[in-house]
Amino acid sequence: MEFMGYRRPDGRVGVRNYLAIIPSVFCANTTVRRIAAAVPGAVALAHPVGCAQVGLDLELTARTLKAMACHPNVGAVLVVGLGCERFPSQELYEAVRANGKPCAHLSIQEEGGTTNTVARGIELAKGLKAQVDAMQRVPCDVSELIIATKCGGTDATSGLAANPAVGNMADRVVAEGGSAILSECNELLGTEDMLAKRAVSPEVAKKVYSAIYEIEDLLRNGRDTSLGEGRNELISPGNFAGGVSSVVEKALGGVHKSGTSPIVDVLQYATAPEKGKRGLFLMDYESHDGEVVTGMIGCGAQIVAFTTGRGNPTGHPLAPVIKVTGNYKTYAHMQENFDFDASGIIQKGESVEENGERLFDLVLRIANGQEKTTAEAIGGDELFCIGRRHGYHLPEKFRLPCE
Amino acid sequence: MLRRSMMIFPEDSVAMVLEDAEKGDVIETPRGKVTLLQDVEFAHKVNVVPLKKGDKVIKYREEIGYMLEDAPVGTWIHNHNMGCDRGKV
Repeated sequence: MEFMGYRRPDGRVGVRNYLAIIPSVFCANTTVRRIAAAVPGAVALAHPVGCAQVGLDLELTARTLKAMACHPNVGAVLVVGLGCERFPSQELYEAVRANGKPCAHLSIQEEGGTTNTVARGIELAKGLKAQVDAMQRVPCDVSELIIATKCGGTDATSGLAANPAVGNMADRVVAEGGSAILSECNELLGTEDMLAKRAVSPEVAKKVYSAIYEIEDLLRNGRDTSLGEGRNELISPGNFAGGVSSVVEKALGGVHKSGTSPIVDVLQYATAPEKGKRGLFLMDYESHDGEVVTGMIGCGAQIVAFTTGRGNPTGHPLAPVIKVTGNYKTYAHMQENFDFDASGIIQKGESVEENGERLFDLVLRIANGQEKTTAEAIGGDELFCIGRRHGYHLPEKFRLPCE
Repeated sequence: MLRRSMMIFPEDSVAMVLEDAEKGDVIETPRGKVTLLQDVEFAHKVNVVPLKKGDKVIKYREEIGYMLEDAPVGTWIHNHNMGCDRGKV
């Protein structure tokens, strides 16, 4: 089965064709925004990091920005640095050059300030945009697709309708030889046995257990009862209001969005699967909507399937985010923020299979560029956030003593 | 008044109420008719078997928590009367 996508120099396939203007450090955010505003169709990837970080946090910043720049939904890249940042803009630029797509690089300190950099940046960006506009969609196999799955604003309908519909769609993508990614390991507490049983090998099963137990440990250690009510919950007030009573109930509903395929591997944050490996993956990360979605896009996902019972308007600047709900009330109330209504599973006795098939067809129309998502139409870009682990994986001997 | 509801698996101990319902409304479940003991909002759940303090609450054939108090059939089961230790011990 084929769709029309953009074949990139690294062999991967994109469903969108953006010119990305990327700051290596937050100090370049305004410059980047002003360049992008002057070049229609360019997207600015402003972010709050790139300096004064150490260890895994700085590595995650570097890895994520490289993954965004090299992402197949991006046709060309302009990198803008300040000049003294800890994540050097040159390193980001070299990564894009090695990736083979058209790119350019500027540094504010070298150019002599904001105005000069913006002027030079607009000139370079216009040149890159012309190259992007000349790129054509070509027939690509559906096996090239990687679908990220995510729930945000879960209610009790999510586990009955929206997540099973997404899971069925994910099974169809995997059956075509493609891939899907499940993550949000802190919201999989209680499902580790069933997920480990779906692992393709004892090694992968071990990685599944480790991803879920480590995040549970991390969160448990971060708990601070002196901070008052609500600061230690793994579940939001909206989840409770929507009828979800515990993190395990949430997990047992959430896990349905992974479908029924075997788990072929556990991926690290914003890290592509081993070459040639396809199927269902678990990505080892927690459930902050933006951080986890950006991480899965960093793994190579070109499209995100996002379920929500409460309603959610967010989008990602580089990837279409398909909003799916199982709640007929929320759909009627917030229709402009939804792409797919799966509430017929609850309200009309429709089958999960027919909803999964319709959702799969929608994924292909969006992959083809025939349709935009509602988040794309409103310009939603909140889901671009760079993951942080705050000393996670810090060896015991380096940890500060605590009681 | 009869209200729509759904049990995911017949072995579960709770059913989801699929309409905003009031105390005294009735749902039909694989475990028989259940009269709601409180108002229950859309997508919230009630127990279809009697539960004692400490009993496991079963949904999706799995334990989603345990009862903090006794609950006769038809009780609204939520975080006020059900606990769960995962992720916070």
